Amino acid sequence: MGDTPRRLLQRLIRRIPAQELKPTLEKWGRLSQAQLQTIDFTQSKWALTGKLGTICEERNWAVKHITELELIYNAHTVELLQFKEQFKSNLSELIRNVSVKIKKHTDEAVWIRIAWGDGLSQPNHFKPTYVVHYLQTPYVFVTSLNSKQKPLLSQALVLATSYHAIKDANLSGRKFTAIRDLLMRQYEQVFPRKFHSPLKERNQIVTDPHIEREQAESSANRLQMACEAFGGGKLPQLQSAVYKLETKFRGHNKSMTQREEPIRCVVKFASTNILESLRNCASSGIASTPVTPLLSSIPLKGRNYFVITDNGPGPSQTRQQN
Amino acid sequence: MIISVVKTPRNSDGAQRSSYRQSYRSYVGAVSRLGLTSALTARRLNTSRRAPRAHNITDKVSPEHLAVLVKKEWQLSYVTPLFQFRHTQLKRYSQQLSAFIAAERQGVAVEVEEPQHSFKASFSVVHGMAEAEEDAETILIQVHSKHHFSRRDDPEKCVWSGWLACINGSPEYIRSLPKDFICLPLFGSSGGDPLTSSVKSWFQQTFDCCFGSLEINHTSLQWLGSLWTNCQPESNIQHLKMIWAVPVVPPLQITYTVNPQDAWELWTCVRKDAQVEKEGEEEEEEEEEGIIDIEEVNMFMQELKSHFYRHFKLDLSAGNLVQVSTALGSAKTSGRIKISNSRYMISTLTLLTECALLKMPV
Repeated sequence: MGDTPRRLLQRLIRRIPAQELKPTLEKWGRLSQAQLQTIDFTQSKWALTGKLGTICEERNWAVKHITELELIYNAHTVELLQFKEQFKSNLSELIRNVSVKIKKHTDEAVWIRIAWGDGLSQPNHFKPTYVVHYLQTPYVFVTSLNSKQKPLLSQALVLATSYHAIKDANLSGRKFTAIRDLLMRQYEQVFPRKFHSPLKERNQIVTDPHIEREQAESSANRLQMACEAFGGGKLPQLQSAVYKLETKFRGHNKSMTQREEPIRCVVKFASTNILESLRNCASSGIASTPVTPLLSSIPLKGRNYFVITDNGPGPSQTRQQN
Repeated sequence: MIISVVKTPRNSDGAQRSSYRQSYRSYVGAVSRLGLTSALTARRLNTSRRAPRAHNITDKVSPEHLAVLVKKEWQLSYVTPLFQFRHTQLKRYSQQLSAFIAAERQGVAVEVEEPQHSFKASFSVVHGMAEAEEDAETILIQVHSKHHFSRRDDPEKCVWSGWLACINGSPEYIRSLPKDFICLPLFGSSGGDPLTSSVKSWFQQTFDCCFGSLEINHTSLQWLGSLWTNCQPESNIQHLKMIWAVPVVPPLQITYTVNPQDAWELWTCVRKDAQVEKEGEEEEEEEEEGIIDIEEVNMFMQELKSHFYRHFKLDLSAGNLVQVSTALGSAKTSGRIKISNSRYMISTLTLLTECALLKMPV
């Protein structure tokens, strides 16, 4: 290995932050899985450079290969740097006395902390707004933002990400990972299947095998449909779902059902994990199966706020509004 | 102009045949003498009651007292009849209770005459609350505290308040009580638990009574929801909010909030239908207009539940109604009640007095 590639490698390794080294090398794709495993990433960068230098020498890799690695690293940092710069300058153009800290986590997420002030007051660091944005995805997660700050943040984000507009996803919750998983569909989904799995044998004393089987069948059926609607396994932890209903009265009272105007109500479901509670409602029979689209829309659409109105003159159809 | 004669109803028929522990339930059962079944059916709440009328209670009850009663959340209990309670001895009771609290706090006996303790209890009569002839006047108890280090002219802080009431209590039951027993079955308290238990034990020792927790069951909650909704034309209830607890894992809470005007319109539609049905059955036109029937209440709730079911395919009957609230007040199954508008306070307290009488042990 010549002097140029060695120095190039040295300089590059020095620039890449320690926690980024492994993912960047993985993206490079030149090292086999076995080789990657032999590298101890807790070592000093100097030792790492030596180790990588030996590998390069063995493989006879030259400047061409090293510059490839540099490009991979730069492409990523450029995107982040660009976003950082754009966002900061856009926001400070819109509002004075605002303090912005941006940090990138290993999983592609950019965390932004904004302390707001205004023309007269200094930034208030006790009531910051947190924003999480996954680069290359169209999603932004925001905490504690008031109506005054919302348009400012939206504009800065739109300009920095070069999207056209920003839209409320109607999803909120206390657990960041849960709403992220719901929005990005990162949880175990169960797909409808026609044939149910054969029942497992149980050690119970069977009084009447026919009744037993029938009941077990219907409960297995309910469970299957509950999982199809809400997902199987552990579900994202969402605390509530709110429905604003403006639909015609659907009870039995004649004079009320004949009334033209809709009946206005708000229904809120709350639990430590509503998806699990609702799945339990469906599998235990408290909620009829198949689960109504109103409820299964929560995981399906990744939303927990809905406005429901009647769709046209037909009394039996409902429509979800955005 | 106002003649302030304190009413401690005396039971005129001096028949002292049963102990004070005779309850409303056993009373009704004993009257019918038809054994267990009738006693059990008699344990139910009244199946019809008068629609709440806006009482001009502000004319009868002093604003200071109303201010204490309204807008505070009270934890309810029932109390068995008080032996030898006198509305004329309130000053003495105030001293005794103050001393009792101080003693319980310090664990030592304190002289009754000593006025230096940091807790001061005061009894007062809330005039104008009693509705029926037999109702004893409502008693208000307040405990004020003064910090040891505070200056002499610092205002005392009210740290605990409570009241004992009987509003439209069953006259038959009250008359059946032996002499010297006063029926004030509804006890509401607001303040720290140690003080509540001190007050309760003082009452138990002094008037040989006992206390028990008063839960507000789903029937009573439905009654309150309907009675409040019925007030909508006169006084905006702002919303009819009902909370159900659904027993799944993890527990699910469903809050169902209905627009006040829509709730009222559904209520009137339900009532109209029920009235038509009733007229078809019997020709008695002379039915009082202000009477509400349990069937109407049940139907109203059923209609709200089916409207819900048609949307969510989830049966609310599988859960428990745990809370009902409107701008007029809120009630929780745990026995917590808040009355936000004094105009309809009497009908709420009438229902709760009935619940308290029913809850008393046999």
